[in-house]
Amino acid sequence: MEDETFTDISGKSICLDCQSHSSFCREFTVSSPKVSIGKVMVYTCSVWLLAYAVFFLTQNTAVLSSAILITLVGMMFHIHFVKVDHETLLVIGSLGIQVSSSYASGREITTFIEMSKIKDIVINEAIYMHQIIYYLCVLLKDPSEPSAVSSVVPLFQSSKPRLNCLVKVYKSCQEILSKSQ
Amino acid sequence: MVENSPSPLPERAIYGFVLFLGSQFGFFLYCLWAFIPEDWLHSIGLTYWPQKYWALAVPIYLLVALTISLLLLLGVNFSNTAPLHSVDNITDVYAQGQRTECTRKGGIPRLKDVSISEVNKMFYLSPESGANTN
Repeated sequence: MEDETFTDISGKSICLDCQSHSSFCREFTVSSPKVSIGKVMVYTCSVWLLAYAVFFLTQNTAVLSSAILITLVGMMFHIHFVKVDHETLLVIGSLGIQVSSSYASGREITTFIEMSKIKDIVINEAIYMHQIIYYLCVLLKDPSEPSAVSSVVPLFQSSKPRLNCLVKVYKSCQEILSKSQ
Repeated sequence: MVENSPSPLPERAIYGFVLFLGSQFGFFLYCLWAFIPEDWLHSIGLTYWPQKYWALAVPIYLLVALTISLLLLLGVNFSNTAPLHSVDNITDVYAQGQRTECTRKGGIPRLKDVSISEVNKMFYLSPESGANTN
């Protein structure tokens, strides 16, 4: 089995893990790289040096304490709300799919979509800022109108893998979906 | 029926030259008004002209407005782009309303919008011959 290195749309390496629990249940996990200690130190030092420079000019000690507070609160906010550690897609044939993303602080957000609402899982291309990217998405249908797409749920939004990773997940999902629909 | 085409015509050459002369003359008048001191203009009898402040202000206003409008255009384009979770990336009113084909035997199929599921199957699920399609 060749060991492909997957990257996201900006070139950072990510990790794809496919687990096949049974013939109709598969789980895919895309993990982003962890927060690097070097980047944390660079940000903290620059903010503190800037605060010290302002303190040097204004002689106001509140600047220093507010800088410390800002860095602490900022780091906590970042690891709890912004930094995604890994995203998981669990496909269970004839039951539904479960999408979950866990943040660096351990917080997990999970969504379950039942199979009757799912029309298909496809790879679509769309304009994202200044570029066009491939992304995997779930097409949802209204049970009353089975031929029309009612809404779209994009998957792996924080890690945004490239096409080679998406094609692997797509082929695997289609094996299960074609059996259960 | 006269055909409209963008090719050069004598009338268009005349219009262009008239516009060129007119704009050069207008610029010459503007420079006259901007540089001649107010007293001289009053002494001729031309008293009701705008303040000289506007000789500088109007060009600067126009250039700043041009720059901001370029940035604004970029911003409007970005904000009008459909987000990734929008149905507009998948289909639209015209594709959903297209009539299903009633093929005659041996006839060319009607031109239609292929659904994204079919496109995906053709690109990613078909055997390696599908990978060579352009």
